Amino acid sequence: MKDPAPTDAGAPGEAMNVLHFDLRPGQEKVIAGHEASSAGRDALAVFWWGDLPLGMFPLSAAELPLGEGWRRSLAASFAAEQRSARDPALGAPLTARSDGTVRLTTSLEASVQIEGMMDWLEATANPSDADARQLAVLICTRDRPAALSDCLTALSLQRSPPGEIVVIDNSATQSARSVCEGRPGVTYLHEPRSGLSHARNTGIRAVSHEFVAFTDDDVTPHPGWTAEVVRAFAVTDAEALTGLVLPMKLETRAQRCFQMDMGGFGSRFTPALFGQSFFAATRHRGAQVWRIGAGANMAFRRSTFDRIGLFDTRLGAGASGCSEDSEMWYRILASGGACYYEPRAVVFHDHRSDWPGLRSQIRAYMRGHVSALIVQSDTFGDRGNLKRVFLQLPRYFLRTALGSLLNGRKDRGRLIPAEVAGWLAGLTYMVRPGWRSGRQSDQRDLAGGGSDDR
Amino acid sequence: MKYRLAEIELSNPLEPIRLEPDETGIGLAARWNDRLVGFCMVECALGELIGIDRLRAIADEHFAFGILNAKVAAELDTHAPLAGPLPSLTVAICTKDRAVRLGRLLDSLVAVKANSPFAHVDILVVDNAPSDETTREAAARYGADYYREPKVGLNFARNSAINNARGALIAYLDDDVVVDRGWLHGLAAAWRAAPGAGGFTGLVLPFRLDTEAQILFEERGGFGRGFLRREFRSSSLRMPLHPVGAGIIGAGCNMAFDTALVRSLGGFDDALDTGAPLPGGGDLDICYRVLRSGRSMVYEPQYAVRHEHRETIAQLRRQYWTWGLGMMAFLVKSWRHDPACRPKQSAMVRWWVGDQLKALGKAIVAREARDIRFAWAEFSGGIQGLLGEYDRSLRRVATIRNAQS
Repeated sequence: MKDPAPTDAGAPGEAMNVLHFDLRPGQEKVIAGHEASSAGRDALAVFWWGDLPLGMFPLSAAELPLGEGWRRSLAASFAAEQRSARDPALGAPLTARSDGTVRLTTSLEASVQIEGMMDWLEATANPSDADARQLAVLICTRDRPAALSDCLTALSLQRSPPGEIVVIDNSATQSARSVCEGRPGVTYLHEPRSGLSHARNTGIRAVSHEFVAFTDDDVTPHPGWTAEVVRAFAVTDAEALTGLVLPMKLETRAQRCFQMDMGGFGSRFTPALFGQSFFAATRHRGAQVWRIGAGANMAFRRSTFDRIGLFDTRLGAGASGCSEDSEMWYRILASGGACYYEPRAVVFHDHRSDWPGLRSQIRAYMRGHVSALIVQSDTFGDRGNLKRVFLQLPRYFLRTALGSLLNGRKDRGRLIPAEVAGWLAGLTYMVRPGWRSGRQSDQRDLAGGGSDDR
Repeated sequence: MKYRLAEIELSNPLEPIRLEPDETGIGLAARWNDRLVGFCMVECALGELIGIDRLRAIADEHFAFGILNAKVAAELDTHAPLAGPLPSLTVAICTKDRAVRLGRLLDSLVAVKANSPFAHVDILVVDNAPSDETTREAAARYGADYYREPKVGLNFARNSAINNARGALIAYLDDDVVVDRGWLHGLAAAWRAAPGAGGFTGLVLPFRLDTEAQILFEERGGFGRGFLRREFRSSSLRMPLHPVGAGIIGAGCNMAFDTALVRSLGGFDDALDTGAPLPGGGDLDICYRVLRSGRSMVYEPQYAVRHEHRETIAQLRRQYWTWGLGMMAFLVKSWRHDPACRPKQSAMVRWWVGDQLKALGKAIVAREARDIRFAWAEFSGGIQGLLGEYDRSLRRVATIRNAQS
């Protein structure tokens, strides 16, 4: 007997708990601010071994609470997975395939020889205590003072305090200024030119730390975030680092749909190296750089910006919509560099809660995605990017529409018009006068400021 | 066409395996420190000597990950053993006129009973409308309890077992299996890890792969449910139609239940799994009802048996036909008795028909005559099941019941 292919989506429209489980024997996971949950609801379960995130999948209310047997079998599978992804004796670090996942392998010999699985797991889950003073954390914000305040509070609780926290206020009214005042270690900057890339670049120019990490105002970093970012940079030569973005809560239909139907900001729990083999695998049809991570949880070596320039101010929220982050990763890869994904660096994202907000977000994502593909094609002559615009994306719309019809995923289907609209809006960049030749001087002008108007 | 069935213990050094001159492949079950970690089938040359390198490559691909998994599981068990008193256990074997196979099964049971984690284990043989005394004699030889169920039909026999069982836990075995040496320990571990579960199912490996039909059946998935423990509750966000697709939970030839629970649910539906002409659906139905009652079902791979698959292609085709028939008869019955689940039930019928047609279409495109006939068998069985088979079966069992009373 078979059963229909499992999906990640449950009955749409209902609020879900986000439940955290520590699979260490006898442990319960407690994350500050995440205690609240309502009984009798479906849940997205996130599994940990101490501070090491292991995996995530949805559980129905009937599947809770998890019994001891279930916990142990999960612990066994997750531990085996982590070990084969992280133990150099089993081939770590693993290289990302074209879809961003890694192929877990082990050999009979290695498996037989390996000992002390729980000790190894404990050691791997041991929180980083790396000194983060060489790390600057940049937060670009625009008219979300309450969220920003929570974000700054979480940053003040980091186990390894960063060298500097810089808030770049992209609002017209400087609404973030009062939030930042009186917070030690927080620098406030105002960037009047609208656009996330402008704000990011202003922040980069303002700091001189070895590492630069970005997070968003609607994000709460895990207390070990900065320490894990620095630890990860110590073990890889990669110029860019990304981490795991977990949903903070799934209280509304929009939040649930974004996480469960649209995949949220990813759900990979094994580290991956995005190097030249990853880039080469899909370059001819548009390298899938968006698989590398999310702008809500990314960091760079500062030297990267000296080498390849700053964020493209044509891209990103406030300009084309998004993808200024992935275009940066594209530039890194296209110029011979590498990116690294380390899920131990965790942040929690507060997804858009209202449906119209989600719809316009999805539209902006698609418009930004198309614009970045055009830019990547223009900059590097990689025609694969245009193949994605004109062939893959329309095919993806059709397939998704069909799939959501067949599987009754109504919420997913309702977002397709927004995606198509975003795609059409993105296409206009193809013919917009001056836009395609308008790569901003900003990008290579690290020292200068303010001279990069169109 | 004949495959060697072999078992390797991976904690020992690999040793080459020499196939017999008439063997064309191997079905390899692997253990790590006695724990089953994998099974795979590999086609070889006639009478090939399967060298260590070849075996290592097979193990790398199919078993190495299972070893890591088994190591963590073992460490967790050592760290905090799941102990506690086990319930009394009745092993129930429903059989009809197959004393030789019954003897084979009882042999394997006696062996595992000698080292039983359960304090109280009794074996109960239910002889279903027998035509001679051989089953009674076999049961007597092994000191098993014996009941005769005159009403012909597997689920009549299963109900007779549940009514006469002394154990708080009842483990059903078909007479065409033998138990793995870890069977009782697997069931004990499964129970201790989930003492509140309503039922347990286990791994079903092939008993022999001597004919083309047996090899084909195993290659097409067999009864395999994999080597990872799984737990099922009354709904799942990962399987939208669960628990209606009860087939993924396990197979009727190796399943155990909380005796009191099954009694309180009214036992097995004797209009399903009646033997010909409706020899299926009974296991789906009981697993489904256990889940719907709010109790969980646990699949535990260490609770393993070996099943003697159908010998001929014609028998195999008939098996697929019974799968379709049993599945749809079960769905028709559930539709009638469990209206709350109707959206899932009708979605399952739609999905099933689509899936079957897809398989049929694929076989037709590939011009694989045999696959076409397998697919057609399952599909036509399902259609017959949809078209009133459950009602016909109800009338048949009423006649059987009346004849006996």
